[in-house]
Amino acid sequence: MRWQRKNRPSRCRSGAGTLLRLTLAFVTGAGLGCAQWQPTKPAWEQPPPPLKQGPVVSADALTRTRLDNGLVVLLLEDHRLPTVSLSLTVRSGAGAVDPRRAGLAELTAELMNRGAGDRDALVLAEAVDALGASLSVSAGWDSMTVTVSGLSRDLDFLLGILADVVRRPRFDPVEVAKARSEQLAGLEAANDNPAELVRREAMAVLYPEHRYGLPVSGLPETVQALDEAAVRDLHGAFFVPGNAIVSVSGDVDPATFLAQLAAGFGDWSAPAGGDLEPSGTPPPPAITPTGRRIVIADKPDLNQARILIAHEGIARTDPRRVTASLLNATLGGSGFSSRLMAKLRSEEGLTYGVRSGFSRRSQPGPFSVATFTRVPETRRAVDMVLAELEGIRGDRRQDSEELAKAKSYMVGQFGLGLETSAAVLAGLVRLDVYGLPPDSLDTFRARVSAVTPDRAHRIADELLHPTRAAIILLGPAESLAPQFEDLGEVEVVSP
Amino acid sequence: MSFSMNSLVGGRSGGRFLAGVALVLQIAVLQMAGAGAVFAVDDPAARLQKTILPNGLTILTLEDHNTPVVSFQMWVRAGSKDETFYTGIAHLFEHMMFKGSKRIAPEEHARLVGARGGRINAYTTRDVTVYHEDVTAESLPLVLALEAERVKNLDISGETLTSEREVVLEERRMRTEDRPGGLAFEALAALSWMAHPYHWPVIGWRADIEAVTVEACRDFFETYYSANNIVLVIVGDFDTAETLARVEQEFGGVRRAEAIPRNPGKVVEQRGERRSTIVYPARIPLLYGAWHAPKAGHPDGDALDVASQILSAGRSSRLYRELVYEEEQALYAEGGYWALQEAGLFFAVAGVRPGADIDRVEALFFSEIDRMAEVEVGDAELEKAKRQLEVGLVKGLATSHSLAGRIGNEYVFLGRVRSLDERLAGIQAVTAADVKRVIGHYLVKEKRSVVQVVPPPETSASPIEETQ
Repeated sequence: MRWQRKNRPSRCRSGAGTLLRLTLAFVTGAGLGCAQWQPTKPAWEQPPPPLKQGPVVSADALTRTRLDNGLVVLLLEDHRLPTVSLSLTVRSGAGAVDPRRAGLAELTAELMNRGAGDRDALVLAEAVDALGASLSVSAGWDSMTVTVSGLSRDLDFLLGILADVVRRPRFDPVEVAKARSEQLAGLEAANDNPAELVRREAMAVLYPEHRYGLPVSGLPETVQALDEAAVRDLHGAFFVPGNAIVSVSGDVDPATFLAQLAAGFGDWSAPAGGDLEPSGTPPPPAITPTGRRIVIADKPDLNQARILIAHEGIARTDPRRVTASLLNATLGGSGFSSRLMAKLRSEEGLTYGVRSGFSRRSQPGPFSVATFTRVPETRRAVDMVLAELEGIRGDRRQDSEELAKAKSYMVGQFGLGLETSAAVLAGLVRLDVYGLPPDSLDTFRARVSAVTPDRAHRIADELLHPTRAAIILLGPAESLAPQFEDLGEVEVVSP
Repeated sequence: MSFSMNSLVGGRSGGRFLAGVALVLQIAVLQMAGAGAVFAVDDPAARLQKTILPNGLTILTLEDHNTPVVSFQMWVRAGSKDETFYTGIAHLFEHMMFKGSKRIAPEEHARLVGARGGRINAYTTRDVTVYHEDVTAESLPLVLALEAERVKNLDISGETLTSEREVVLEERRMRTEDRPGGLAFEALAALSWMAHPYHWPVIGWRADIEAVTVEACRDFFETYYSANNIVLVIVGDFDTAETLARVEQEFGGVRRAEAIPRNPGKVVEQRGERRSTIVYPARIPLLYGAWHAPKAGHPDGDALDVASQILSAGRSSRLYRELVYEEEQALYAEGGYWALQEAGLFFAVAGVRPGADIDRVEALFFSEIDRMAEVEVGDAELEKAKRQLEVGLVKGLATSHSLAGRIGNEYVFLGRVRSLDERLAGIQAVTAADVKRVIGHYLVKEKRSVVQVVPPPETSASPIEETQ
C-alpha cells in the first residue's frame, strides 16, 4: 500500500478543494494561502489571517452506521499509511461506579487486557506483540475504550482480538489477584508524584461525598475489596451493544470492513440481568466549596510546593463551554499566550509552569489552576493567581484583542489536533459519548467565531469564584502554614 | 529575488543551484524494493532536499501536501556536552531565546505563534538544542521571520537572565530535586560517564545555574548560534521554492563562525561495576542501571534495538513477564538502548513494589540480561521484535512533527538521513547470534553502573510522620 499523493502544480492555492484526494478536508477561508510576500514589512507586523471556517471531516471518507443490535459504527478511510486503528468505546466509565467500589472501572479495563476467548493473559500478549500490534484498554470518567492497532494487512486478526476482548474477557481469578495487587502498587507510586498527589487532595476537598472525590484508580481500601464478581458485574452492565461505539480509522475498505464487523459483532447482545445498570454519574454539589478552604497536605521533604486552586466548573455539554474555553485560553489555558504564564513565569520567575482549565465531564468537574514554586514564595504565587482570577472578572476584563487571539489560538490548536484520522475519529466518538450533535467538529470554528466580549465577561462572572476557591498546597506544612494564617483557617492533613 | 522560483518547483534530481549561490542536493533516493519487510511504504524522506546557504546554514525541506500542517525545526549543534564553564548554560540559553530580541518583546515570539494556533516549544539534549513550531501553511513566513530575528538580534539582558534563572531552578526542582527518578537518572549519568562531557545533567548543576553570567550567555550565543552550526528542517504543507527564497532572505544575514570549539570527549574504559545509593523518602524504591553502549549510527545499533524490544516491548516482553507479571516484584521494568552522538548507554529501569526487596529485583533483572547473553533468542521472539520496530517506523510517518524529528536527528547525528528501506533492511538483517553477541559484549557486569533509590530505613513505614 502506498501513500496517496497529490502533486500540486501551482504554488498558489485557493483553499477549498486543494486536498481532494485526502480523506480529511481542511478547507481554508477564501483568499488565504496566496498572500504575496512583502519583504519590507516584518511578518509579525502583518495581520493574522482570518479564522478558518467550514467542515473538517469530508463526507466521502466518513461512514456512519448502526448494526441491528444498536452498535454504532464510525469509519474514517485514510490510505496514507498501511495501518489501521480499531476501537470500541462504551458510554459508561468510572463516574458511574459506586464510590465504595472506586477503582473498579480501571481494574476491569486492566483485566480485559489479561486474557480473552481462547487466549490466557500471556497467549494474548504474545499474539498481539507478534504482529507488532498494540492493545490497550482504558477507563475514563465517562467511557471505557478498547483499542487495537497495527498493520492493515492484519485487520482480520485485529478485529478478532477486539471482539474477544470486548465480548469474551476471561477474568481468570489468578489474574484478578495479580491485577489488583498491581493497581494497589500503582496507588502507592502516586505518592512519589507531587502533581498527582496535590490533585488527589484537592478532589477530596471539593467532592467529599461524590465519586469525583476519589481518583479513577480508587483508594487502597476500595481497591482491596474488589473481586471477580464485581468486575464481571461492571463488564456485563457496561459492555453491551446498545451502549457501544465501534470506530475504525486508517487503511480499510468500508464495505469489506462492515461485513467483517457484522461477523464479529452482529450476534452480540446484552446478557440477561446484571447487577449494575449503565447509569450515568450522579450530579455533584452545584457549588463547592461553599466558602474559602485552605488545606495543606504535609510533605516535609519537598523543596517545591505544589499549588492547586479549585472550585466547581461546568459539564462537557454545558452551553457555555466554548466561551469558557476562550476565557480560559486568555487566563491560563494557552501557554505563553496566557495571563497567568505571563505573570508568574515570564515576569516574576516564580514557576516553570502554570495552567488553568475546566475538567469537563458528563457532570460538572472542577475548574482549577495548577502551579508550583519554591516553598518560601508559595504565598506570593497564590496571591498572584487569585489576583488574576479577580482581574479577569473585575477591572481587567478580557478585551476584544485578547478574545480575538484566544479564538485564533483555539481554532489553530483544533486544526493541528486533527492531523491524523485517528484523532478526528476520537473526536467524533467523544461527541457520541456525550450526546452532542454529530456535526460539532464541523461547526466548532463558527461557534468560536460567534463569541462576543460581552458574553465572555458574563461567563467570567458566572464561572470564576476566587473568593471561595479551595487553596490546596502540598509541601512542608511547617513552612507553608505561617504564610497563609492571615488568609483564613489553615487545615493540615497527611497525604 | 534574482532567481526564478519555478526553477526549483518539482526539482527531484541533484545539482540544482539557487540564485547561483545555494546548492540544492537531493540527498536520498528511495529504493522501493521491500528489503525483506513484509510491507512496502513510500518513505517521504526520500524526497528530501538539502540546501546550503553561503553562510553555511543547512536547510532540509520535504514538501508534502498530504498533511494540513507544516513542521519547522531549528537544530542547533549546541548541547550540554559543549559547555565549558557553567553546566546548564545550553539549556538556560534555550530559555533565553524566548526572552526577546531587538524587534520582539520578551515571550512575544511564543505569543505570536500561539495566537495563530501554532504549537511552539524547544528542548535541549546533551548534543543539540532544537526549536520547533507546528503551524498551518500561511503562518510559516511568520515562523521563519521570528526564528531568524532571534538568531540575528537576540537581546540578552541581566534583567531577563535574573528571572529566567529562577524559572530554570524551578524546572530543576520539578524534574530532579523533588523527583526520585530524576535524582536517580542524574546520578546514573554521572556515574557512567566519569570523564566525558555527558557526565553532567543537561539542566546543569544547581550552583552553576545560580552563577551563570550575562557575559557567558552572550559568549555562548556568539559561539554556537552561527549559521554554519544550524540545520533547519521544514516538513509538510508548504511550497519549497517560495520557502527557500524566504529562508535565504531571513537567514542569509546570520553570521558564520570561523571555528566552533568542541569539548574533547572520550569515554574512559570502565573496569568494574560502579554503584551509588540515594536515600530519599520514596514509597516506590527505584533501580536504575546502565552499561556503556556504542554511539548513534554504530553497526551494532540495530541488534541493540532488537534486544531492547525483546526485553521491554509489550506485555510479552521478557522483563515485564518475569519481574512484573510472574514474580510481581516490580511495578515496571524496562531496558533499552539510548544512542547519543558520541557515546551510548543501555538502560535498566525498575520500580520496586511495596514489600518487595530491591536487591531481589536487581538480581532478577540482571539474570534476564545474562540469559540473553548465554542463550540465543528463538525465531519467533526475534521476528516479533523486528516487526514491532518496523511498525514503529511506519507509525513515525503519521505526523509532520515526528517525520521532521527523524530527519533532524539523523542528519545532525549521522550526516545523512537513512531511508526507511535502509532502516528496515538493517533491522531485518539482525540474527539471533547478533543479539546474543551484543548483549554478551556490551552488557557485562564490569561495565555496569547501578543506582538504587531507597527510603531511609527507619522511615520506610511512614516517611511523613517520622521525618519530622
